[in-house]
Amino acid sequence: MVKIEDLKRINLLRDFPDHLLKIIASEAQLSIFGTDTQLITANEKADKFFMLIMGQVAIKAELTPGIDVILDNIQSGSSFGTSALIKGSTATYTAICQEPSEVITLSGPRMKQLFKENHELAFHMMFGVAKQYKKKMDIRAQMIMKTLDENPELKEDIKDIENLTLVI
Amino acid sequence: MVEKDILKKIVFLKDLPDPILEKINAIAQFETFDEENILFYQNQEQTLLYMLVSGKVFLNSRSVSGKSLTLDEVLPGRTFGVSALLGESSSTFTAVCAETSSIITIPGEQMRQLFEKDFEIGHTLMLKVVEIFRSRMKMHTRQFLHSLATHPEIR
Repeated sequence: MVKIEDLKRINLLRDFPDHLLKIIASEAQLSIFGTDTQLITANEKADKFFMLIMGQVAIKAELTPGIDVILDNIQSGSSFGTSALIKGSTATYTAICQEPSEVITLSGPRMKQLFKENHELAFHMMFGVAKQYKKKMDIRAQMIMKTLDENPELKEDIKDIENLTLVI
Repeated sequence: MVEKDILKKIVFLKDLPDPILEKINAIAQFETFDEENILFYQNQEQTLLYMLVSGKVFLNSRSVSGKSLTLDEVLPGRTFGVSALLGESSSTFTAVCAETSSIITIPGEQMRQLFEKDFEIGHTLMLKVVEIFRSRMKMHTRQFLHSLATHPEIR
């Protein structure tokens, strides 16, 4: 159980009606994790959705054995672990606390069960997650545009840029 | 209003049951646009969701220095202008008809109202959007990592 006031600090839940926040509040857990705690492990079953109240979490992927790349640094108010909310998903990255972090967690299987019973909750969660993905993909598209602007010769090597235009 | 058979050609709406398609149909418009017609501009407020029935549409982006780049060629069956569906304020790209194109347009606001009236439709369609976006992000990240891993300085 967490306070509704804490949930309102999460960007994804900002526009949620109070009656849905109450449901989430009763399902959620607030935990404090120490530095270097691994919250998500790449390629393993994703069963928790995380919302960061305070602290910082690094999203990492293995480049080669021994070299990891930080893809993102999650800041307060952001959420991660969306795979846990989608049927049959495995984690695509590893998430590690960079400093002591206060995190709200939701059980993926429990949320998926709730989505079957409460389509309003399911819709609002998916709508928020879609907006979050779009924002990230727009940032990537802008970064690629900037790089291509400075290095036009790279265009020939980019084969997936259309994936960022969000045509569905 | 659009014929139901035409709606069924749209990948985003494929597999939706007839009662849902009828509700979407009630807020959809079918229009034909000439070649070079600009459907919406980058950074402009975007209100419509577009579903291409026939023809071809280019999605262009203009960089800070003013160079224009075609990022995607939209082919029949595909949907674009997702900013309108998500209630975002402005478009990330400019959409221009590469040839005469028949397009279904749906006001994003009305589509969201439909979702708010029938959360099951909203959930079904938003889940589709999330799964597509997620798989794109995943693929894009994989390709980015592959490019880095094969970079001479890292190898």
